[in-house]
Amino acid sequence: MATNGLVVMTPTSIAYSGTSASINADGSVDFSAVTSLSLNGVFTGDYDNYMVAIRNTANGTDNLCYRLRSSGSDTTTSTYTRQFVYANGTSVTGLRTTLTLAYINAPYNTQSIGTALYFFGPYLSQPTAARSITVFDQSSAGIYDNASTQSSSTSFDGFTLLTEGATVAVTGLLTVFGFNQ
Amino acid sequence: MARNGLHLITPTSIAYTGTSASISANGSVTFSAVSTLSLNGVFSADYDNYQIVMRGTPSASGLDTYVRFRSSGTDDSTASSYVGQYLYGNGTSVTGGRETSAQVRVNTWWTTQRDGHVVNLYGPFLAQPTAGRSITVNSYTSASIFDMAWTHNQSTSYDGITLYVASGYSFTGRVAVYGMRK
Repeated sequence: MATNGLVVMTPTSIAYSGTSASINADGSVDFSAVTSLSLNGVFTGDYDNYMVAIRNTANGTDNLCYRLRSSGSDTTTSTYTRQFVYANGTSVTGLRTTLTLAYINAPYNTQSIGTALYFFGPYLSQPTAARSITVFDQSSAGIYDNASTQSSSTSFDGFTLLTEGATVAVTGLLTVFGFNQ
Repeated sequence: MARNGLHLITPTSIAYTGTSASISANGSVTFSAVSTLSLNGVFSADYDNYQIVMRGTPSASGLDTYVRFRSSGTDDSTASSYVGQYLYGNGTSVTGGRETSAQVRVNTWWTTQRDGHVVNLYGPFLAQPTAGRSITVNSYTSASIFDMAWTHNQSTSYDGITLYVASGYSFTGRVAVYGMRK
């Protein structure tokens, strides 16, 4: 019998800043006009690697970011290093920065955007890697892909999705999947 | 009725050079300090397209990781049969290049942090040329992007794949192969 490859990870709980967020019966999470959304209990010892599928709109322009969290607290130290590749028309650029969070996408409030965010080993007590593949909506369509690492050897059981400036709010749906192993 | 769309595939067997490798109960493969790791019987007529997910660390920084397809336990190392186009994001430098070889480079591993790969393969079991696309986070200067799109021009049906690094070096981690229901 074939083994299910992707397993929906239903959060044990969520927290948010903004209008509303809720866990659906299928394990996905709806959110409306939030500046941050924390998912607890989505990373476990059952799986090493995860994919998060996110679609959203925004009410302004900002960076969409994540922070890893453990036991309900975000890690907010400068332990995230990210590298982006940005394709905007004929311009392709990149940059590496070390921050207190990691970027994954950048809504421009013109269309819907989508992100496939992969986490490699967040629950393991070793550094975590992440990679996002995106469509974002600057001039209706662009690419803003990010690779990031988080350097602490902490076991994380969740993450927070947030806008960098905490003033732009996002609305949409996300689902966390564990890669069966 | 909703059906499972992605199936974890258990290799019929594995082969490796190095310290250890084993198949888990569900089908993923953990490996420790290996320089080559071959997964047999992971591609079949049940699926056209596949996804490989891997995390790991190397024994040395700057260690290129290569892939070859294999059939009936033998790697296809036909000269110049793999053509890859890479996109490399390293700080403010974003560059590309094309490589033609008897294997394809899917990442360059660094010991700085943690590395991760997602590789999509299109039609490896079909007796026609195969396409692949890898996306990575590698840890050069803590975080870099090295993505590769490649084709393999042999019209051979492959049932497996080999991952390897340069002789004298090794890598440690876990890899899993998933079939996409068609």
